[in-house]
Amino acid sequence: MTSVATKSYDHLGLGDGPKPKSMVRAKRWSEEVENAFRFQTAGYRDEIEYKIIMKIEPERWPVEPGYVKKLQRRDGTYYYYNRGRECQDKEVHKIKLYQY
Amino acid sequence: MSAAACQSLQAQGFTLKAYMKNSKVVGPPSAGAFAERPAKPTAFRKFYERGDFPIALEHDTKGNRIAWKVEIEKLDYHHYLPLFFDGLCETVHPYEFFARQGVHDMLEHGGSKILPVIPQLIIPIKNALNTRKRPVICTTLKVLQHLVVSGEMVGEALVPYYRQILPILNIFKNSNRNSGDGIDYSQQKRENIGDLIQETLEAFERHGGEDAFINIKYMVPTYESCMLN
Repeated sequence: MTSVATKSYDHLGLGDGPKPKSMVRAKRWSEEVENAFRFQTAGYRDEIEYKIIMKIEPERWPVEPGYVKKLQRRDGTYYYYNRGRECQDKEVHKIKLYQY
Repeated sequence: MSAAACQSLQAQGFTLKAYMKNSKVVGPPSAGAFAERPAKPTAFRKFYERGDFPIALEHDTKGNRIAWKVEIEKLDYHHYLPLFFDGLCETVHPYEFFARQGVHDMLEHGGSKILPVIPQLIIPIKNALNTRKRPVICTTLKVLQHLVVSGEMVGEALVPYYRQILPILNIFKNSNRNSGDGIDYSQQKRENIGDLIQETLEAFERHGGEDAFINIKYMVPTYESCMLN
């Protein structure tokens, strides 16, 4: 099962992990916010931190738009997410979007 | 004439006593079709308290999600899925939450592993529906809707078992509140049993193949097809 949406983070030089320069709170729901919600629910900042810590690609749903399907938490347990949107409107403002 | 003589005797119908002059025939006692029945202690609760489920019981878990100790893809569905279905009878937190969410996760990620387990799920489904408790019936109906779309041929595999799970749906099918022009919030929250039953039967018909409609009609005569005509 290949990821539908993959980004290359090589240009960021993920050796020890980049530190985000700024953070904004999400105001409206979007696909980026949905993925950020899923990572933050599992205890990570975002996808970059997940890849640094777990050293694996997050498993995604094969159907568009390819949200995150399964994440492994730091304690070794697994979180599973639905195909469709899970982030409710009332939780959007809690989601943090980091800029590098 | 004394008061005692004027009092009417209560008598059951079709008895000699009913023919007496001052007897009043009373109707038969209520059959209790809608009366809730207490659920037996479930195997789910026993296994949960023993810690046999691969679920992390943490209190810092955010939102409505289960943290799985083992990847769902590696679970033995023949063992765990019927146990989680058995927990659908539960109404108490946290058993109710873990059973419902566990079933949801296993159906969402089961794929082809669900079909062989179908025969073992029928008894727990029947037990849950037979409790006649509205929250339990609502949860079970939503689970059934998810079940028929969870894997290929699952809907068709359920057809032989309609005679075991549809009689309760026949009883509650007309359980709709007539609120006039008011707003029925239970519809919005998907807690209106009559509407849920209609949705579930339509899902059965859509995914049950050619024989689904006639089998549904046999058990729920007032159901009309959503695909024919």
